[in-house]
Amino acid sequence: MATGVIMPRQGQSVESCIITKWNVKKGDSVNEGDVLFEYETDKAAFEEEAKVSGTVLEILAEEGDDVPCLDTVCVIGNEGEDISEFLSASSGSEEENEANEEVKEEKEEVALVSTGRGDEEKISPRAKMMAEEKNLDLSKAVPTGPDGRIIERDVLTLAKNGFKIVKGEDKKEVCDAVDVNVANNAEIAEYEDIKHSNVRKVIAKSMHASLTSMAQLTFNRSFDATAMMSYRKSLKKSSEAMGLVNITINDIIMYAVSRTLLDHKSFNAHYDDEKLRVFNDVNLGMAVDTPRGLLVPTIFGANNMSLNEISIRAKELGSMAGEGKISPDLLTGASFTVSNLGSFGIESFTPIVNPPQTGILGVCGLTDKVKVVDGNIVAYKSMNLSLTCDHRAVDGADAARLLKDLCENLENFSALLAK
Amino acid sequence: MTKSIFVDPNEMRKKGEIKFENIKVNEYQKKVKDVTDEFSKDDFKRIYRDMWYIREFETMLNLIKTTNSYEGMEYNNPGPAHLAIGQEAAYVGQAYDLTIDDFSFGSHRAHGEVLAKGLSAIEKLSDEELIKIMEEFDEGKIYKIIKENTDTDDVKEIARDFYLYGFLAEIFAKETGFSKGLGGSMHAYFLPFGLYPNNAIVGGSAPIATGAALFKRANKKKGIVISNCGDGAIGCGPVYESMNFASMDQLRGLWEEGYNGGLPIIYNVFNNSYGMGGQTKGETMAYDMVARLGAGVTPNQMHAERVDGYNPLAVIDAYRRKRKIVEDGEGPVLLEVITYRFTGHSPSDASTYRTKEEVAAWEAQDSIIDFGNQMIEAGICDEKDLKDIELKVREDIKKAVKLSIDPEISPRMDLDNHPELMENIMFSDEKIVNRDESRTPEINLEDNPRVNAISRKVRSAYDKDGKAVSKNKTFQIRDGLFEAILEGYKNDSTLIAYGEECRDWGGAFAVYRGLTEALPYHRLFNSPISEAAIAGTAVGYAMAGGRVIAELMYADFIGRCGDEVFNQMAKWHAMSAGVLKIPVILRLPVGNKYGAQHSQDWSGLCTHIPGLKVVYPNTPYDAKGLMNSALRGTDPVIFVESQKMYDKGEEFEAEVPEGYYEVEFGEPSIKRKGTDVTILTIGPTLYTAIEAADKLSEYGISAEVIDARSLVPFNYEVVIESVKKTGKIILASDAVTRGSHLQDMASNITRLAFDYLDGPPVVVGAKNWITPAHELDHTFFPQPEWIVDAFHENIMPIPGYSPSHNFTDTELIRESKLGV
Repeated sequence: MATGVIMPRQGQSVESCIITKWNVKKGDSVNEGDVLFEYETDKAAFEEEAKVSGTVLEILAEEGDDVPCLDTVCVIGNEGEDISEFLSASSGSEEENEANEEVKEEKEEVALVSTGRGDEEKISPRAKMMAEEKNLDLSKAVPTGPDGRIIERDVLTLAKNGFKIVKGEDKKEVCDAVDVNVANNAEIAEYEDIKHSNVRKVIAKSMHASLTSMAQLTFNRSFDATAMMSYRKSLKKSSEAMGLVNITINDIIMYAVSRTLLDHKSFNAHYDDEKLRVFNDVNLGMAVDTPRGLLVPTIFGANNMSLNEISIRAKELGSMAGEGKISPDLLTGASFTVSNLGSFGIESFTPIVNPPQTGILGVCGLTDKVKVVDGNIVAYKSMNLSLTCDHRAVDGADAARLLKDLCENLENFSALLAK
Repeated sequence: MTKSIFVDPNEMRKKGEIKFENIKVNEYQKKVKDVTDEFSKDDFKRIYRDMWYIREFETMLNLIKTTNSYEGMEYNNPGPAHLAIGQEAAYVGQAYDLTIDDFSFGSHRAHGEVLAKGLSAIEKLSDEELIKIMEEFDEGKIYKIIKENTDTDDVKEIARDFYLYGFLAEIFAKETGFSKGLGGSMHAYFLPFGLYPNNAIVGGSAPIATGAALFKRANKKKGIVISNCGDGAIGCGPVYESMNFASMDQLRGLWEEGYNGGLPIIYNVFNNSYGMGGQTKGETMAYDMVARLGAGVTPNQMHAERVDGYNPLAVIDAYRRKRKIVEDGEGPVLLEVITYRFTGHSPSDASTYRTKEEVAAWEAQDSIIDFGNQMIEAGICDEKDLKDIELKVREDIKKAVKLSIDPEISPRMDLDNHPELMENIMFSDEKIVNRDESRTPEINLEDNPRVNAISRKVRSAYDKDGKAVSKNKTFQIRDGLFEAILEGYKNDSTLIAYGEECRDWGGAFAVYRGLTEALPYHRLFNSPISEAAIAGTAVGYAMAGGRVIAELMYADFIGRCGDEVFNQMAKWHAMSAGVLKIPVILRLPVGNKYGAQHSQDWSGLCTHIPGLKVVYPNTPYDAKGLMNSALRGTDPVIFVESQKMYDKGEEFEAEVPEGYYEVEFGEPSIKRKGTDVTILTIGPTLYTAIEAADKLSEYGISAEVIDARSLVPFNYEVVIESVKKTGKIILASDAVTRGSHLQDMASNITRLAFDYLDGPPVVVGAKNWITPAHELDHTFFPQPEWIVDAFHENIMPIPGYSPSHNFTDTELIRESKLGV
């Protein structure tokens, strides 16, 4: 019967050994005691001797192979013997594999939770507990602990100062009065605590960061929307025939922005303390009002798209955002943003720049205005644009120039289309 | 009295020479045919059979380790296996005449010792005795398993199955093993057969075995003790310390009649020429032959001899001769038994340090085959008889393997679901007054000067009018310890105490003054300056059935007996699955004034080691009460004392009761009540904290001072209640701050009282420096103002206070970066 030669287990910590040299090859005949192969662990080198005499029928591992202990590495026997049983041996017991899987599962569970950092304010646990018990507002406490920590005595002082606010002689009575007031207020005011959604938290964070880190200011300018409106009207008539989608005013404005912005590169850019990164294409962010809150998907390469293409893309992105199915990749990467509140009759506002962008265009509603044309007073549709820019990246005149060009392009929209 | 020994200058300075006797080397050369009148045919067959039990058992383990398989049975054994294939004759020869009254201790390579002594015991015990042992051991659990799986009625055969199974199950970490699998291969033992624990620390058994011999000598118990080790262990200091301890001149010259004589112990060195991979002769040692060492220890050269351990008859002969010497009080004996292991140090040993030719040469003289041939030559039996013996042994081993690898029959300890199984054996927590009620404690208290002196003392630091009593008239901490120890001596016939300068001098700090007059030598004696032997023999003395107070003169000397305290004293109760009890009180006086190596509070080193109880009393009341508790207990106790506090009177309790009382381990003591901050102390820093409390009160801050008293175990509830009240805590001790036990306490208090804390728990310890000279103590040890400073800087700034010492966070970070 053929004999399998296993990789010996040299100590319990050793799981596998490397075959460093074969002294025999398939077909060789070996005698008991002949060194078959040499192998090593990280600690020592060994020789494996043949325990039986016979012919090497098969060699199952090559020099340099790291062979699990107890795996068969060669087979010795008489020529022609069946060695199939050694060829199907697998390494690693089922038990071990199962154990590994279990460990993996556990790890996945653990990875879910992450905790945020608490208040910067230092308060001792005891002071915090005491303030909660007494319903005191810790923000009014004067810290006297080490390193500006609010400690027990500060809470006691706070409670004591409460007496001074309410008039009265008897300390005990006053003290009660304080507590009663707090308690009453708590009872009267009915409210519901609504936990922030993640989207809300992200918006809060990025908007606050935007206003605290940038030098923002907003410019307003209105333009005569007559040309734009009549163009849109003409489109409506021919849209079906020409296979066009329903092109909105916002689409038209975005188109105009995509064509104007490349002449005002500092607005199609990202700003950081070291440099201004100017983009070659206009990746246009469009603010979308969704049930979850504000989302800003990006129309990448808007400057290379036709008006119809922009319109189609805007509708796709809008519905994806509205349904909450939008890929996070589409919510980043914009080089400039357009935000439209026109449908709510807003006449002017100060949109907030999405960092690290340098500007955002607020689109307002249509209003009726009059102007003098050839000595006559003429009524026309006007639209206001509010451009907020980061004064760190651009100057006021730059913003004025962009607004001017944008308004002129919109007033002569057919000409812009022809370019 | 040692004053009786006159150091004569004329004698000391006289010209002369030291004479040595020749040391015999392999004197015994007889073979089977030469001793057919001394041994029966069955005797020879038994020797042959027992050697085969060891050979087959070790071969089985080797196969399981290297191939996960034996005789078609699959098993994976991740534990150690230090095998001794080749050494069988030495083991069987040694065990041949040993009885269950003879205690044997061994090394990591002791499967052979365990098997040989057990098989020998089974031969000698009657069927009734064997059944009783099997029924009583572990409530008969192993016996039941064997009975259910055997078809023989032969009690000796059942006993062999019982023994092989219990031993193998222990090696395989099964709950049905001799120590529930908690000892394992290197620590197996079986008390009913006189087998004491084997030891994974090389040379680790020597002091313990010596302590067991001391127990036999001091309590007049029969039997001798065998301390086994390999040649590698001869390089270990504690082995030499032990041989000297067992041979001390006082044993023969000073100890009273009936107790005198060298300790009844044979130091048996199985010399296989290798200490793991280091070759002893020619490489790592200088002795040429181990037997030579006897001449360096005693004038009788420890009756040392080299014996051929490849001839079991030579070893049997040596033991018959040496036993007589030891029993006559002429011991100890050093015996070098030559042997050789064919296998590596362990299965992962590639034997890179020796040649194949060398192994082959020894294999050619294989003691088992040689002995078999001798039996045939002498006409004892034929080849078939020998083969039958071998096959029968294999069948027995197969049975043991089959049962011990079966997870149903032999499960592991269910520590997942029942961690209390382990919790319950970390300490024995018993109260035993006298460990040997068959004997009456020997003590003479007639007109004892110390007892008389104490009777005249005021048992409080203050007199009736509240005035401080002078030191000499006050009942001091040393008196509290003395009273408790005296009580222990009166009650426990096994209680002995020793250490350096314990007798005559009365201990370096006079705790034992008066005991010399009251006690015979064997109950109180001076040890050599051998801390490893002091601590290690104490472990052996307790393990063998006694109770002992061992003293290290300075806590700093614990480094000299790290293994004996941390690995031996702490662990044997749990490693024996709760069977062995170790009631050792190790007194650890913390020094002062003597600089860097004589003034360290190392209690934190001890609390780190599971299995040790650690207490540190600081008042006469607590010292007496805790010592009383320790002396009734059955667990090892590190009894830390402060040398600078020995003369303290009782300042907190009304007085120290004259009668017996106990202070329970684990309960901290509120020494002063307060409302604004808690100060928890360990050691004499209690008094520093009291001074700090006085200072704080000047600022209108009321401090509560708690003395931990007991470090392990410890009841946090008392401290947490205090912190709930005060919201603030400082922890102080004289130990260096880094790694101090206080850090552990601070961490636990933070967790347990987090919501109540008004500031972080702050540890005030000594600097992370060496201790400077006494004159500079104030720069190193916590001072009262340091505690106030720490409070001001870290917990609650005190208006108008300017700290003298930098306790800021920045300073802590800076010091940590420097490692100081």
